[in-house]
Amino acid sequence: MIAALATRPLVRVAVLATYILLVSWTRALASNVPNAYTAAIVIGGLALVLTGVAVPFDRLGLGRSRLGLRILGGLALAVVLLVPAAARAGAAPVLPAFLAVPAIVVSIGEEIAFRGALYVALEDLGGAPTAIIGSTALWTAAHALSHPPEFLFAVAAAGLLLGLWRWACKDLVGPIVGHLIADLAL
Amino acid sequence: MVTVVYLVAAWMVAPGFYDGFTPQQPYHFVCPPIHYSGNQPPTNGHLDVKVIGGVSDANVAFTDDAQVLVDLLPGSFDVTGKTSVAVDIKPVSPCPKPPGLTYATNAYMITAAAPLVKKATLVMRYSDLIPAPSNIYHADSPDGPWTSIPVQSEAQPFTINATIDKFGYYAAGYPSSAVSHGGPNSQLLPIAIAVLIVGVLLAGIPLAIVRRRGAAQEGEPDDSEP
Repeated sequence: MIAALATRPLVRVAVLATYILLVSWTRALASNVPNAYTAAIVIGGLALVLTGVAVPFDRLGLGRSRLGLRILGGLALAVVLLVPAAARAGAAPVLPAFLAVPAIVVSIGEEIAFRGALYVALEDLGGAPTAIIGSTALWTAAHALSHPPEFLFAVAAAGLLLGLWRWACKDLVGPIVGHLIADLAL
Repeated sequence: MVTVVYLVAAWMVAPGFYDGFTPQQPYHFVCPPIHYSGNQPPTNGHLDVKVIGGVSDANVAFTDDAQVLVDLLPGSFDVTGKTSVAVDIKPVSPCPKPPGLTYATNAYMITAAAPLVKKATLVMRYSDLIPAPSNIYHADSPDGPWTSIPVQSEAQPFTINATIDKFGYYAAGYPSSAVSHGGPNSQLLPIAIAVLIVGVLLAGIPLAIVRRRGAAQEGEPDDSEP
């Protein structure tokens, strides 16, 4: 099994995709249990971080070159993600303070899982187009239980935007920074 | 191109990412905040608690819009001579405005046709568009005085809970002098976005200059070589 994971990209993609979907859906369902809410999100986020453990930092897009520029790119991504809400700020939700830590953990976990480990496995399987489209499709499916259907188009568009950044800049720092700021703001 | 697609897609739905938690139903205010549009009036709640074997049954009274919920244990009421106990929950209008307090929810009048003899759990939902309340307040009259009662940790997001031993008027809020959990996004978010844009531009220009100089130096012919 371990050998197949290392040598067969299709097996790696199948195992990672199944794991990520199960974690995301379990997290969404568990967060509805009274008093289990914060723990479910934090544990779910940490379980997603685990997907990146066996992948070298450089391949994940977490190398240290041009770090300042990539963080700056993350800030620019955050601006794009938040503009639709900022333009209608009166209708934008206020994140309760106790949700700040879960928001940080889950945004980092999701980026490492979707645009990190899964992206790398999909790229090994079929190149960049497969990685961008596949990671966006799975990202959208993973949010299906936590978001009403009408939100999923926006979720997919955000996933595609972050996936294209990952491909064009070979960078995961920007998507992490952008996702984290956006989650904390709303 | 994808940026435009995202902006259009995000514009078509309510703002917010709701990463890990489901967006709530819009709160129905008696007195909506200034920036709140599309408000619906809040609804009442009514429950007839059955008396079985001389003991009032366990049940949950709630408003039809699920903004207030009262969880009643078996034997919660003194049911002498009764076959059922009516429990009513009604939003209070006009909104009480006690000095020194800011309410994040409607005030509700909770009444029952029999005295409460066991503690009940009160759950009040609040809007995700305003700062979270830190206290639940109780009064015997809408004119007050309003007193704070101990609250429990949030079992669900955007709810505040307390154990109560009497009915009356209840509302969730915070002292007006208190720093709430985050300010209204109507003021902070546009400012934060403006600061981010300025930050990206100010930091980006020096970084671009440094990169251009580096690239130019790499491309220069080396004069020391013959």
